Parts: sequence; structure tokens; C-alpha cells
Amino acid sequence: MRHVILERWSRGESCVHRRDPRAKIVALITFLAVVATAHRALAWLAPGLLLLLLAGLVLAKLPLTGALVRAALVVPFTGVFALICWFAGEPALGLRLLAKSYLSALAVIWVVATTPLPALLNGFEMTGVPRFLLVVCQFLYRYLFVISEEAQHMSKAAAARGTAARNWTAPGPSFRAAAGALGVLFARSYARAGDIHRAMLARGFDGRFLQLHSENFRPADTAFALVASLAPVAVRLTVERVVG
Amino acid sequence: MARFLKSCYGGKAVHIPDGFLSTPVWAALDTAAVPAVAWVARRAQRGFDDRQAPLLGLMGAFVFAAQLINFPVGAGTSGHLVGAALLAFTLGPAAASVVMTAILGIQALVFQDGGLLALGANIVNMALVGVLAGYLPYRLGGAGEWRRFSIFAGASLSVVVAGCLALSELLISGVRMQTSLLGISLAVFLVSAILEGVITLAVVRSLERIQPTLLQDSPPHKSPALLFIAVAAVLLASVGVLFASQAPDAIEQLTEHAGPRSFGWLRQAGTGLAGLALIYGLCLAIGRTVSRNRSV
Repeated sequence: MRHVILERWSRGESCVHRRDPRAKIVALITFLAVVATAHRALAWLAPGLLLLLLAGLVLAKLPLTGALVRAALVVPFTGVFALICWFAGEPALGLRLLAKSYLSALAVIWVVATTPLPALLNGFEMTGVPRFLLVVCQFLYRYLFVISEEAQHMSKAAAARGTAARNWTAPGPSFRAAAGALGVLFARSYARAGDIHRAMLARGFDGRFLQLHSENFRPADTAFALVASLAPVAVRLTVERVVG
Repeated sequence: MARFLKSCYGGKAVHIPDGFLSTPVWAALDTAAVPAVAWVARRAQRGFDDRQAPLLGLMGAFVFAAQLINFPVGAGTSGHLVGAALLAFTLGPAAASVVMTAILGIQALVFQDGGLLALGANIVNMALVGVLAGYLPYRLGGAGEWRRFSIFAGASLSVVVAGCLALSELLISGVRMQTSLLGISLAVFLVSAILEGVITLAVVRSLERIQPTLLQDSPPHKSPALLFIAVAAVLLASVGVLFASQAPDAIEQLTEHAGPRSFGWLRQAGTGLAGLALIYGLCLAIGRTVSRNRSV
């Protein structure tokens, strides 16, 4: 699956990978806020912020083209709206939407590709997101691939039994077959949840995930958070002072 | 063009990316989502025992996986389940909201499907209002002769309401759209809503045959008139928002004239962040007090 690549990148080793997730979350939110509130001189601001992100990617030793292509996942959705704006006679607005959403997606990738997701979710817990929600997210991410694989097996098995041979005039039987498959998948996931819970209770699970690493916020993390969140603000102030 | 739009909506749900919403809109919806999610998480946790966390996680994974199973609709097209209403029927509305929130969070972080600042908007559209709109008809008419219709209506309503909310947020934020395109997107919402209703009904019926205990009980003997009034209210509210947002110029002019030219954004962002920080502190304080009272 195509998103496993983020998981692999996040196990890398660089000065960005080593920083505390909380510092990266602070920097990310600042960057997103700077992008979201930008109105003027976007033609200069967008390349500036892109350069900043590229510097971040290089610093994190991430493959540049890979990350840039990955961020283009937002383009199909945004591109349609950009086209709509173009037809409505406002090409500038369309380009603005495209630039803003692409930059935001690239920033999110920069953080997710340098922090393993469990650590990132743990970092969100320190910022006050309900722990219950984050534990649900952890389980969801852990079993996402397991259940998806099961679904793929089921649809492959169904196809082997002839559901793929579509009857154009009467889709009823294969529709019911798909509904049955989903019902079975639902019941199986439900039963699996009970098994997982009992197995985790047997291993002393008390509703929270323990971390192997210490969660000390070091001076280097503070410095990183300061520099990384002040950089986009500085870029924007400079551009707006010079151009605007 | 209709097919084009359909492909961009993924046929179903609109995950708003960052950069689309204007600052007042995303900031307001984020501030609305934070306490709502905290409350819903607390409620879902209280409703069951601590077995809930693995169960909700697996249900979220199930909804992701359900998108891999295609439902043939005829004429070469196929659809898949969105799942908000199905979750509400099986887990109850609070737990369904938590699962949908977790799904949206993972989608924003790992799949670049929807933005992080726009997460509040997406949560309000799909995880809060969408789930509630799906649960309402089931709650009112889930038992008795109206059962099948209310399951269908709930699933359809959840898709229509979430779509209309997302569309009106985009329009309020100043994304221009011609009237004809607006009509096409509403038609797309309607078609995918009907599809969601049919799929959800089929899955619920197959679930009833396999393991009927998995479905939530709904109180018996509610009058169908009440159901229609409630459904009509939800539908009217969402469509009303849509039409109100047809004239976003007034709001835009207001914000343009209000802000001073230089460093206006800094002040604007500062005010927004201060408001967010205030709400955040308030939620944290209330959460602390509540949990302390409970532990005593």
C-alpha cells in the first residue's frame, strides 16, 4: 500500500527525526496558520514558503521528489475547484487555492514523515486532545492494514466465485453478495476487538500506551520549536514588507 | 462535468483541505469542534466499559476497509459505504462520532485527505452533524413498520447534510461557483445519498441475519409524524445554510473593511489564536475538574 512509505520515512535518522513531537506540532500549526491567513503577495510568498519546506525536507534527509509527489495527493480535489474558479472568471483565486492546499499538505508530510505515528499521537496527548480519542486512533492505525487485507481477500474470493462477471441488467445478486461480505467483515472485526482486548488485558493494558523513550522536552527541542515556527512568520513578514 | 465532479468528491464525502476556508470559518469551526469532541469522547467512554477503545479502533479500520469492497450499481458504476450512519446504528451516536473523528484525523495525517486546520470543519460536518443526522431517523422510527425506511433515510440524510454543510462552508469562504455547478453538485450529493441509503440498508439486513445482537436497540412506539418533522427540520437547516451562503459578498466586504491594511493579518491571526487559546484553556480546566470530582 502506498502510505507505508511514510511509515518507512518516519523511522529514519536525522536532526529533525530526533526532535520532540510536541515541538514539531507547534511548528506545523504555526506554518499552517501562516499559510491559511495569507492574502497578499502570494505569488512571492508561496515560493518562499516552498523553499523553506524544501530546506526542512533536506534537513530531515527525506527524498525530495517522493515527498513532493506525495503532497500532490491533494491536487485532484483542489484542481477541480481551481478549474471551477477559472471558469467563473477568477483564475487568481484558483491558483491561490492550489498553492495554499499544496503547501499545507507538504508541511503535514514533513512532520508525519519525521515522526512515527504512535509518537506523534502521544505528542498530541500532551497538547490536551482527549486520551480516549488518541487510543482509538492508535488501534485504528494498527489494525487498518489487517482489516483492509481481510477485505481484499474477501473481494478476491468473491471474484473467484463469479461476482466479477457483471450482469449489466440485474446487479442485484452481486450487490447482495457485497452487502453480505461487509456484514461478515463487520461481525469479524467486532469479534476480533474482543479478542484483542482480552489479550491486552492479560498483558496489563490499563487504557494507555506506554512509551519506550523518555518524554523530556530538551533545550534543543525548545530551540527547534522557536526556529521552525518563527521561520515562516519571518518569511511572510519579509515578503509583505518588500512586495506589498 | 458531472462525472468529473463525482470523481473529485470521491462520490461521497467532501474532505475540505487546508487553504480553502477563510480564517473566520475554520477558526470558528475548530473552536466549536474542540469542546464537542471532548464531550463526545467522555460520553462514549462512559457508555461502555474500557473494552471500548479497541472496539472503536477496529470499527474505524472496518470503515476504511469497507471502501475496498465495491457495490455494483449498474451501468458500469460502483459505489462504496461511507459508514457514519452504520456506525451510529451499531455503536450509538457518541461512539460513532468518536470513530468518525479518529478516521478523519488519520486521513488528514496519513492520507493527506482533508486539512489539519480544516479538521474542525470536517469533524463538525461528518463526525458530529453527519452522525446525528443519520441517527435521528433511526432513533425515532428504528422499531416497527418504519424500520427499513428510517435506516435508509438516516444513511441518506447523513451524506446529504454533511455534503451541504461542506459546500456552504466553502461558499461562505468565498469559493466561487456558478449556479449550474451548484445544481450539479447537489444532484451528485443526492445520488450518492440514495446509494449510501441502499448500501447501508443491505449491510444492516445481512448483519441482522448473521448477528442481530450487534444492532442498537431503539425505543419502540414513536409516531412517524415526529420522524418526518425531525427529518424535515434537519434537511431544511442544511439547505437553508446553503442558500444563505449564496450571497457571501456581504460577509466578505465586512471582513475586508474591518481589517486595517498593514499587519491586519497579524492582528487577525492573533485574535483568532487568543480565542482558540481561551477555549482550549477552558476545556482543559473543565476536564480537569470533572475528572478530579469523579476520582474522589
